[in-house]
Amino acid sequence: MPGKSLGRWVAAVPMALLAVATVYPLLFTTNAAMKTRREYILDRFSPTSSLHLENVAAAWNSVGMARYFANSLIVVTVAVILLLLFGSMAGFALAQLRFRGSSALFLGCLAALFVPFQVIMVPMARVMADSGLIDTYPGLILAYVAQFLPFTIFLMTSHYRTIPVEIIHAARIDGNSTYGVYRRIMIPLGAPALLSVGILDALFCWNDVLISLLMMPSPEHRTLMVGVTSLRGQYSDNIPQFASGVLIAAIPVLLLYLFLQRQIADGVTAGSTKG
Amino acid sequence: MPLGGSSPVVRSAQAERTTGAKFEQPGRHGSTGRTPRGARAERLAPFVLVAPAVLIIVALRLWPLLLGVNFSFTGDDERNGSFVGFDNYAELLNDPLFRTALGNVGLLVILLPVAVAIPGLLATFIYLRVPGHRLFRGVYFFPAVLSPVIVGAIFNLMLGFDGPLNAALAQLGLGPVDWLGDPDIAMFTVVGVHIWATFGMALVVFLAGFSTLDAALLDAARMDGASLPQIIWHVIVPGLSRTIQFVFVTTMIGMLTSMFGLLYVMTSGGPEGSTYLPEFYVWIQQGRMNRPALASAASTVLFLIMLVVGILQVIVLRRAGRED
Repeated sequence: MPGKSLGRWVAAVPMALLAVATVYPLLFTTNAAMKTRREYILDRFSPTSSLHLENVAAAWNSVGMARYFANSLIVVTVAVILLLLFGSMAGFALAQLRFRGSSALFLGCLAALFVPFQVIMVPMARVMADSGLIDTYPGLILAYVAQFLPFTIFLMTSHYRTIPVEIIHAARIDGNSTYGVYRRIMIPLGAPALLSVGILDALFCWNDVLISLLMMPSPEHRTLMVGVTSLRGQYSDNIPQFASGVLIAAIPVLLLYLFLQRQIADGVTAGSTKG
Repeated sequence: MPLGGSSPVVRSAQAERTTGAKFEQPGRHGSTGRTPRGARAERLAPFVLVAPAVLIIVALRLWPLLLGVNFSFTGDDERNGSFVGFDNYAELLNDPLFRTALGNVGLLVILLPVAVAIPGLLATFIYLRVPGHRLFRGVYFFPAVLSPVIVGAIFNLMLGFDGPLNAALAQLGLGPVDWLGDPDIAMFTVVGVHIWATFGMALVVFLAGFSTLDAALLDAARMDGASLPQIIWHVIVPGLSRTIQFVFVTTMIGMLTSMFGLLYVMTSGGPEGSTYLPEFYVWIQQGRMNRPALASAASTVLFLIMLVVGILQVIVLRRAGRED
């Protein structure tokens, strides 16, 4: 049917344009980051003649990006480990074990899922300040765990529900306690879900700016994304340097996306099909 | 290793419920399930497993929610902590900035169908295997993983007065637009950038919905000579009503709660306060103005808006689904 395939090509044209519009901003920024200041002022659109990586090095060294990067890495790593641990423990219990109040607990988690951070940020800041956790790594880590735990539990529960109960019975007959089942069955069989959910949690924490701004006020505790917000003021007259800073902050996530695209999409859709 | 790491939390949670005996022992060895002590540990195991999660969620999400509502009825500054009734709410309604923020929420509701229709249509084309559909899928999704802060910074360059967008407009013979400096335009610009950054997320959700659609229905419609718009309207929309409902609700929640990074980097609420949203207002009152009680009141209003929007959408879309 020639008519049908023609129709498909007609649809492909605006889609290709949109794809260009999606990629171009990042290409422009990368190109700008590689230019000298003079080159950029003279002509910002032409492809750069040479790769001026010294912009990237200068941005990395001068603004404390290295420090912000390390802060983000520490906080996100610990937060994701705790999220996966607590999330899979609770998810296993809610999906596979029968105990008093389990359905009420699951409903409570769902309710917490729909409480956005903006709604609780004022009292949360106060609770953190009262317990001496404001402006500390544990404070921000705890804030991230609290923020993304309902989501993590929700996804782990729906994943663990798909594991047949016979496997658990068999493991129990082999002499495993509940904890043994968790460690020897649930962790290995849950690995794909743990990977997807872990990547999403890592993205959420890494990309966050509001929680971090609120919980880590002092400059030396800034996370990478908060650091990026201060670039504009510092480099308002040096766009290539500004673009370099932005690029540094974007690279980890872009790499993650290139290698783990499928897992990210799986995590997003796992949340949607149960909605 | 995972269990060992959690044992301090586990132990304290157990201490509250029991006489403090050490039950983590069977967990470490994993195979003492037949002794009486093991039996009790088995009975408590589900509670031990959910304890850390429950403690964190109750202490840092549900409790602050109540605290915040209570806090919104108290005063700031010299009236610190005393009960002031609805004074904060009255002040909010009289604050032009907060009224702008509410007005912008209305604008978001109006633009919501656009933000849902774009990924929905694109997903339809990808599902119908437009040439290059795999590539498109991958490209469209990538901005969704970028932080709003990075997106905002990139678009500060793109939308500059002498930036690429104005240069492209000049090629078409159109004058430069002050995308972020004109109070009548700035909010549309920020929403547009937000849609640019997030439509890939909704697209992936739509595609997951399509995978549950019965392909035989589509073939039957094609056999009957239905046009593409007819197929979309009579087959795809009813077949995907649950997915569409989900995307509507999540897109709205996303607009109300995840534009902070964009606003912070791109406009800081300006020009002339035209790009305020309730979440940005809460941040300013809490972080800059030191008015936590007023911020709590604004938070409570934001929560009520989200509740109402969510419930309304579910009702409206359910009714629409039933008519088909």
